[in-house]
Amino acid sequence: MSDGDTRTETLATVERLVREVMDDEAGLGPPIGMETSFSNDLELESIEFVALAEKLQERYGSGVDFAGWLSGMDLDRILSLSVGDLVGFIEARRQEARG
Amino acid sequence: MAMLAAPGATLHLQALGPAAALRPTVVMAHGLFVGTLASWYFTAAPALARERRVLTYDLRGHGKSARVRDGYDVPSMARDLGAVAAEAGQAPFDLVGHSYGALVALRFALDHPGRVRRLVLVEAPLPPSRFREIEDFGARSPEDMAASLPEALRGALASGGRRATRLVESLRFLAQDTTLLADLGREPDVADDELRRLSPPLLCVYGARSGCRDVGDRLARVVPGARLEVLDAGHFLPLEAPAELTRLILEFLDG
Repeated sequence: MSDGDTRTETLATVERLVREVMDDEAGLGPPIGMETSFSNDLELESIEFVALAEKLQERYGSGVDFAGWLSGMDLDRILSLSVGDLVGFIEARRQEARG
Repeated sequence: MAMLAAPGATLHLQALGPAAALRPTVVMAHGLFVGTLASWYFTAAPALARERRVLTYDLRGHGKSARVRDGYDVPSMARDLGAVAAEAGQAPFDLVGHSYGALVALRFALDHPGRVRRLVLVEAPLPPSRFREIEDFGARSPEDMAASLPEALRGALASGGRRATRLVESLRFLAQDTTLLADLGREPDVADDELRRLSPPLLCVYGARSGCRDVGDRLARVVPGARLEVLDAGHFLPLEAPAELTRLILEFLDG
């Protein structure tokens, strides 16, 4: 599997989980791509971001430490994250894990 | 989602930090209306969680906890806190509360001497019914309530989009469909005699521009050994002064 495939897969997973925490499983909300901002485009609530971190942790396991990653940022920075930032973080940790 | 079936309401719980830590667990309670466990999760909790287990939870009716109609009085909510704290085991734990969450924390510490190792009250309003921000909240429409929020939150609301709609809807639920405001209005003061018997060491943190700033002076005067810190901010310290507040909490818990 190429890295491109993996990245597409990760984006699809993140999109599905974001829609779950936003109660938008039907996908009626705004489109979600790498450039999509959690705050400006999706208007995710901070408590929904907590729920997203938990879902990602369940999906990717302890090798991808979301709470640790977020703990290095203040709330403004967290809310200014893009979907691509999150996908990039997940991919980087998974590549480390693969060695 | 980690949900805890407490007797009065199902509560949303989030734990941070190592499951087995040398330092005592910290339980953190947020304030009413605009608060959720995210008030701590994205501010002081991560730094505390480097060396200890941190338990944050959504108060009943808030965040992802059950939207129950009643039981917003301090004793009921202190029982909720007790159910959360039971997750930490039987060892004494550290307890941090902001605003109404601080009153709940204070009640729990008074009623359970020996369970709380250290207590941090951030902007606790006493008596609760005198709390200007909350009284103002009660008299206003949900839209006006949203407009009275600290700048950090108002900015997010300016768009009038999804987040604003959801916050106003949540405020409307709490103000109009629950007993919260009536419960607040009936909540009695904590007498000085009872405050004098508070057993854990106490840190009080208040904002210099907060409507309940003077309560910090009262607590520092009445509770033996209490330490008072005043930050250059208003009532919403976890949002307005997260770095300074976190530093004070860490120093106090580690000291």
